[in-house]
Amino acid sequence: MRGRGHAGRAGLGAGLLLALAHMGAPTASAAQARSVSYYTTEQAQRGATAYQQFCAVCHGASLAGAFDVPPLKGRFVTNWSGTTLDHLFDYISKAMPLFSPGALTPAQNADLVAFILRENGVPAGRVELPATDAALKTMAFPSISADRIK
Amino acid sequence: MTGFDDNQKIRRPGLKRRDLFAGSLAFGTLGARGMWHSVPAAAAALQRTAASGTVPRLVPMRAHADQITDIKVCLRPFRPAGPRLDVERVGDKVVIHNYGHGGSGWSLSWGSADIAVGKAASLSPRRIAVVGCGVIGLTSALSAQRAGFDVTIYTRDMLPHTRSVRANGSWTPDSRIALTAPAGPQFAEVWEQMARYSWKTYRDYLGLPGNPIDFRDDYTLSDTPFDQVPEPAGRTGPGDYASTGMPRATSEFATYGDRIRDIIPAPELLASQDNPFPVAYAQRAPMMMFNFGAYGHLLLSEFHQAGGKIVIREFHTPADMKSIAEPVIINCPGYAARDLWGDRTLIPVRGQTAWLPPQPDVTYGVEYRGASALSKSDGLMIQAVDLNDVGEMEGVGNSFEHVDRAEAEKAIAVFENLFARFPAGRG
Ligand SMILES: Cc1cc2nc3c(=O)[nH]c(=O)nc-3n(C[C@H](O)[C@H](O)[C@H](O)COP(=O)(O)OP(=O)(O)OC[C@H]3O[C@@H](n4cnc5c(N)ncnc54)[C@H](O)[C@@H]3O)c2cc1C
Repeated sequence: MRGRGHAGRAGLGAGLLLALAHMGAPTASAAQARSVSYYTTEQAQRGATAYQQFCAVCHGASLAGAFDVPPLKGRFVTNWSGTTLDHLFDYISKAMPLFSPGALTPAQNADLVAFILRENGVPAGRVELPATDAALKTMAFPSISADRIK
Repeated sequence: MTGFDDNQKIRRPGLKRRDLFAGSLAFGTLGARGMWHSVPAAAAALQRTAASGTVPRLVPMRAHADQITDIKVCLRPFRPAGPRLDVERVGDKVVIHNYGHGGSGWSLSWGSADIAVGKAASLSPRRIAVVGCGVIGLTSALSAQRAGFDVTIYTRDMLPHTRSVRANGSWTPDSRIALTAPAGPQFAEVWEQMARYSWKTYRDYLGLPGNPIDFRDDYTLSDTPFDQVPEPAGRTGPGDYASTGMPRATSEFATYGDRIRDIIPAPELLASQDNPFPVAYAQRAPMMMFNFGAYGHLLLSEFHQAGGKIVIREFHTPADMKSIAEPVIINCPGYAARDLWGDRTLIPVRGQTAWLPPQPDVTYGVEYRGASALSKSDGLMIQAVDLNDVGEMEGVGNSFEHVDRAEAEKAIAVFENLFARFPAGRG
């Protein structure tokens, strides 16, 4: 975690900047998003496996949710944007999976956040998403580039 | 129950088809068969709520061509790969497409809107624009409001002038929504998500004043046993979509209904003593349907109540989107995307409905000999679905959006003839 790039620690300020930039100046936003490392490819892949095992039963294989289950894509971004990632990590750690809250390890929960970020169009980086509140507190929920919405 | 006691006095010697339409059958027949309390046992044996032989009381449809009040023609916005839902940039605007729902736009509207709004929400805008005010635009706008956004609709026409209200308006979620091959298995998943989400949303509109959404028993009739009905030729030429750029056969069209069989009431084959029609074979299924008038007005007032704004405007090129104030736009122009967006994958599928005066005492629909009749709150609607025995190919590639009265009269004649064969129908 010590090795995280400085951009990753830029925190909320940078996140807001990104949010402001991405509507008007797409290239700047994409470039900035690329410069922040949120998670690694391998980590998101581990998250995908855990997701299928613990989460897909309610949120669906494609994270679409259902009529009465929140989606983990799209509106999910609006719901969590403007917060730092420790909130999301904490919530998952304490409340999920609904049928056995708190059953997953911190590493698994960080993997899940990595997977969710990937599925929402946040590009992979070179540094893993940390699994502690203290580190995640410095990371804003990223804004999404329109080019990466699936 | 007083109703029961009164009816018990009406004793009839036996079951006659005429009784169905004389209007006094159901309880009378029960009386003749014995006491009402004996019915549950019989019903339980059949695993049904009513004993066999308790034919529902049906009021005949008055289907005559000289009763036509309106004929509506429309082009279904059909895309072989399924509706367009991708995201595109136009200048500094983000455009999320939501068009091309074939013959399933009403049915899938809420689910499709949910997907489009989800994509918009990825960008966390405060304000969202929606282009188009057909059923897809209107449900996208409402879904965006429900997700917390300020919404403005930009449209050339309001709902009553759109192709949407020239539809049939039944739950037909996989009616010419895609071709199996070009859409691929991935679209089947998306379709299921849309269909389930829509179905649930519609449940919220059931049982409201004016019945914006309602259920009807829909009877499918056949002169030959259902398992011996020959497959319609369903082919209009050699080759297929891959080789000719146009679908050529019914078999190319995707059917996904099995994926949601767990929530859709199953059709029931009627035993001959339960068949109210003068046709040898009948099956019945409860079917959800949309009453355009009541439902359209309700959606529009919900939109306004939530602070939505409507701007009447016609766009001529995609670049015109740059003049919209909102940063994120959900694009719902329907078939018009063929010209507005230059989307040549849109294939017109012509369809026409004839409307006769409402018959509120008729509470069912009938499918027979390639025609379809459905009693809706805004009229008795009759449609030539497949008079030419080409199955799903009917109307494909036909952009003649003008009234064909002869076609309407032919479809009406199917039901005029059917109901003339009921004794009570002659009156
Ligand atoms: C005969 C028939 C029967 C059908 N039956 C059923 C059924 O039973 N069940 C079912 O689910 N579906 C049915 N459908 C399909 C359904 O009607 C369509 O899929 C649906 O109406 C498409 O809606 P839409 O909002 O995309 O398009 P439209 O209703 O065409 O709306 C398009 C909107 O975009 C606006 N617009 C277009 N171009 C421009 C422009 N250049 N600038 C500004 N605004 C523009 C229009 O004014 C309009 O408001 C049927 C269709 C037909 C033809």
